[in-house]
Parts: sequence; structure tokens; C-alpha cells
Amino acid sequence: MLSFIILMSLVICFSAILALALNFQWGLGGMINFGLAGLYALGAYACAILILKLNINFFWSTILSMLLVSLVCALISIVTLRVSEEDYFAIVTLGVGEMLRLIALNEDWLTGGALGLTGIPRPLSDSIPADIYIYVFLATYVFILLICIFLLNIIARSAFGRSMRAIREDDVVAVTLGKNLLWTRARIFAVGGLLIGLAGSMHAFYYQYIDPTQFSNIVVAYAIMAVIAGGKGSHFGVVIGSILIMILLEGSRFLKEIIPGLGSDQLSAVRIIIIGVGLILVLIYKPNGFVKEYRLNA
Amino acid sequence: MQIIFNGFVTGIVVTLPALAITLLFGVLKFPNFAVGSMLTLAAYIVFTFNVLFGLSLLFSTIITAIIFGFLLILIDQLTFAKLRGSSSITLMVCSLGLGFVLENIARLMYGNNAKSFAIELARPFLFMDIRMNREQIVTIIVSTIAMIFMYVLLKHMPIGRAMRAVSDNPSLSLVRGIDSPLIIKWTWFISGALLTIGGVLIGMDRAIEPPMGSSYLIVIFAAAILGGLGSPLGAFVGSLIIGIVSELSTLVIPPNYRIGIPLAVIALILIFRPQGIFGKPNIKK
Repeated sequence: MLSFIILMSLVICFSAILALALNFQWGLGGMINFGLAGLYALGAYACAILILKLNINFFWSTILSMLLVSLVCALISIVTLRVSEEDYFAIVTLGVGEMLRLIALNEDWLTGGALGLTGIPRPLSDSIPADIYIYVFLATYVFILLICIFLLNIIARSAFGRSMRAIREDDVVAVTLGKNLLWTRARIFAVGGLLIGLAGSMHAFYYQYIDPTQFSNIVVAYAIMAVIAGGKGSHFGVVIGSILIMILLEGSRFLKEIIPGLGSDQLSAVRIIIIGVGLILVLIYKPNGFVKEYRLNA
Repeated sequence: MQIIFNGFVTGIVVTLPALAITLLFGVLKFPNFAVGSMLTLAAYIVFTFNVLFGLSLLFSTIITAIIFGFLLILIDQLTFAKLRGSSSITLMVCSLGLGFVLENIARLMYGNNAKSFAIELARPFLFMDIRMNREQIVTIIVSTIAMIFMYVLLKHMPIGRAMRAVSDNPSLSLVRGIDSPLIIKWTWFISGALLTIGGVLIGMDRAIEPPMGSSYLIVIFAAAILGGLGSPLGAFVGSLIIGIVSELSTLVIPPNYRIGIPLAVIALILIFRPQGIFGKPNIKK
């Protein structure tokens, strides 16, 4: 049971960072990202490929994969040069995400195709004794999560954070007041990209193998649910949201014992249906989440 | 020539779903990501009547079009109707969730394996040196009839005029006494019929399997955006262009990445002509 809780906590850590990334782009910046799954896959694959094929150490491969995802995100945001509606942005990100997933699936020489990449070493696994390794690993993940929340809080309260929220609330007014729309949007997306790359790398280190099925569009649904349930714009709330969602998700694995006669295909279908229904119910009945966004009081 | 003809058919398959998206966008003002899964579900319902009950494909399509129209009205009442007036992001997220639900209902009930309709195979024949098969001819004829019908409906019938009025200016049309909830129901009903026909055509072209609709989603959106979201004529022209261009592209890039073409088209359109070919520039007040 203890080891189950530890593994759950590890999953929660990087899922929470992914949700924080979405929260930064969408909750604070007002730019929805439906390509989250593909970008997450890009982060994980980039990190794994750098380690396995180029023998770069874990630290630099994580940093490089973060920068790569961030760059791709910034390029995507340039497409919004002339349209300010979120509608188009949603479609573009969805398409880019799908494209990235297809690349992971089809470029066998680089990504291992449908089989994926195996044997990703955990960082420092040879210099830390095996019996305490998992605790050190968990402590590191929690520490990274806390640092992310800390830095995001600083950004949200900075001048950049204020112009982000201004653009989210009303881009025309923000531009009239002299904010550079495109540049701010590119930065919002790039910072979010750093976090997505980080979460992807942590995902790769945790599972030690990656394949395209881990990065289906369901990932987007998890992250969106975590952000809405936690309260858009609030970092702390989003972490709580991810904990709730992950418990719900992992709990749904036990459905097999409750409903007899389900095959594994049907079980996964039922789980996705539950997630979808949950998402719609949260939108209808709890659209503002549990924790409010930080506001300066007048 | 053969490639252009194939592209023409690929494009025309997409016209009806693209038209449905454009109508829904016009009246409800958000891009509906559940459309792909709706198309899948419709194809499976047709499959049920056609293969499991043994009715003819034409008859099953007509029954399904009607049933599915009402089903979409019901789904709308359960989900989007409760969120009317929220921001378009909320509605998009809701449609994404709905898409997951519908696709996996199909998967739960019919399994992951690809299915096909009960139609006998026919040999392709040559016409003016172009090889074509019967499914392609049926696709062209059915889509053309449906497009003409939609044109007449939107241009000359009271329902169509009311739909255009609501999509043009919702509050003004309300003041002029147009019952917009009723118009929204009609739009869903018509979209249901279009998606059913589209699902049958795609199912005939490829196979019926759970991801069939969502794999077409980007293509459908590209077609609708290229023509200008909200413009029915644009949806038609956009679909044909996307079909021909992506079929031609297989000469130079591997077919696995065909989805890249619609995506590139979306990006270029958004950068150079955001309103699409037939759309009106949208000035934000």
C-alpha cells in the first residue's frame, strides 16, 4: 500500500506540473491549448532521445527538451498574429498536437514507432542506494513541483502577469493601453511550454519507457478537468484539482471488480466515458472551481 | 487526372460534415469538437440498421438521419443548452468532453474492430481514362443532391432564412420575433442528417471504426476555415480544395502525414486571410 501511495504521488507531481502549464496558458493567459498531449509527448520523447541516442546527461536533456517544447509553443502562438478569437487557436493547437503524435507513431528510426522507447535510466540511479532511491526520487519530484508553484506565483504577480490577465480579460483594451499582444502571447505560450517539457521529461523518467498510447487526447481532458476543478488562475487550486482527478482516475481502475464481465478494451472505454461525463458535469455545475484566483485588493 | 479525380472525391466526402460544422458555428458561435465523434456514432447506427437488421443502406441512412437528428437535439439539451451564454472556450471544452463520451460509447458497444456496410463489391470502371468505382459515383451524386437541397433550404425557405438571421445577429433576430431556441433545434436536426450522410460516405470510402470521425476532424475544420467559418458555400469550395491539395501532396510527402496539409492550410489562412475565402472580416467592437 505504501509503495502504491508513493507511485501515485509521483504521478500526481508531474500531472500537476502539466496542469499548471495549462493553467498558465489558459487560466492566466486565456489561450486554450488542445495540443497539450502532443506537446507533452514531444517533451518526453525529446528527453528520452537525447539520453538514449545522444548520451547527454539527464539534467541537460531535461533542460533541452524544455527549451524545445517552449520554442514550438512560441511558434504556434505566432499563428494568432491576425486572429484574436480563441476558436481558431483551439483548432490550430489540436492539429499541431495530432501532428506531433503522428510523428511519434511513424518515425520508427527516431521514436521507435508504436513500440516506443524503452530503458530510459532514472537519474543518478547508480550513485544512490536502491533501497532509499524511491524516496529521494519522490522528494525531488515534490521539490520540483513546489519550485514551479513558487516561480509561477512570482510571475503571476509581476508586471508580465498583470499584462497577461489584461489580455485575457479584453485584448482590444489591453492593446489600446500599449500592451504588445503578439509578444505577450508568445511569452505566455513559451513559459507554458517550459513546464510542459519539464512534465514530459519527468513522465519519461518515471515510467522509464514511453510509447504513443500514453499521450492520447485524454491527457488534455485530465489537465482541463484539473484546471477547472481547481479554479482557473489559481496555482494552488490546480494542484489540489490534479490530486482529486488522479485519485478519481486511479480509483476507476478498480471498476473491473465492481462491474463484472468487462474486457480491458471496454474498461478503458468506460473510464474515458466517465472522464468525459465528469468534465461536462464540472463545466455545468462547478465552472469556477474550488479555489479563487489571487487578486490584489484595492 | 486520376489524382485530381481522387482528390475531388476525397474533398466531396468532407463537404457535408464541413457544412454541418459551419451551420453549428454560425448559430451557436463556437467550433464543435464533438462533430467527429457524432459522425462516428451516426455511422454505427446506420451500420446497426444495415447489417444487424438487414435493411437496405439507403433506407437505414434515412431512418438514422431522422433518429440522429432528434438524438443531437437531446444531447444539446443535456449539455450545451445548460451552458448557453458562457464563453466559447467553455463550450469548446464541453464539446471535447462530449466527443470522448460519444466515441467511447461506440467503442463500448461495437468494439475496436473495423466494420463495413453490407454493400456488394463492384468492379471499378474506366470513364474518360479515369478509373472510378461505384462508391465514388454514389458519393458525388449524394453530396451534390444534399448540397443543392441545403442551398435551397438556406436561401429560399423560412427555416433557412431564420437560421441565417440568427447566425447573423442573434439579438436583432430575437427582437424581430424569431424563436431562436427552435432555430437551434432545427440546426442540430439538420446537422444530424448531414453528419449521418457524411458518416455513411466516409464509412463506404474507408471502414467504420471508433476513431474514424476524430481522424477527419482536422480536415473538416480546415475545409470550413478555408471557406470561412459560417459560410456554407465556403465549406463546399474549401472541402474540394483541401481534398485535391492533400491528394496531390501524397506525391511528395509520405501519406502518413496527410493531416499536415490541412494543418498547414489552416495556419496559412489564419496568417494571410483569417476570414477565409468567402467569409466577411470580423471587426471586434
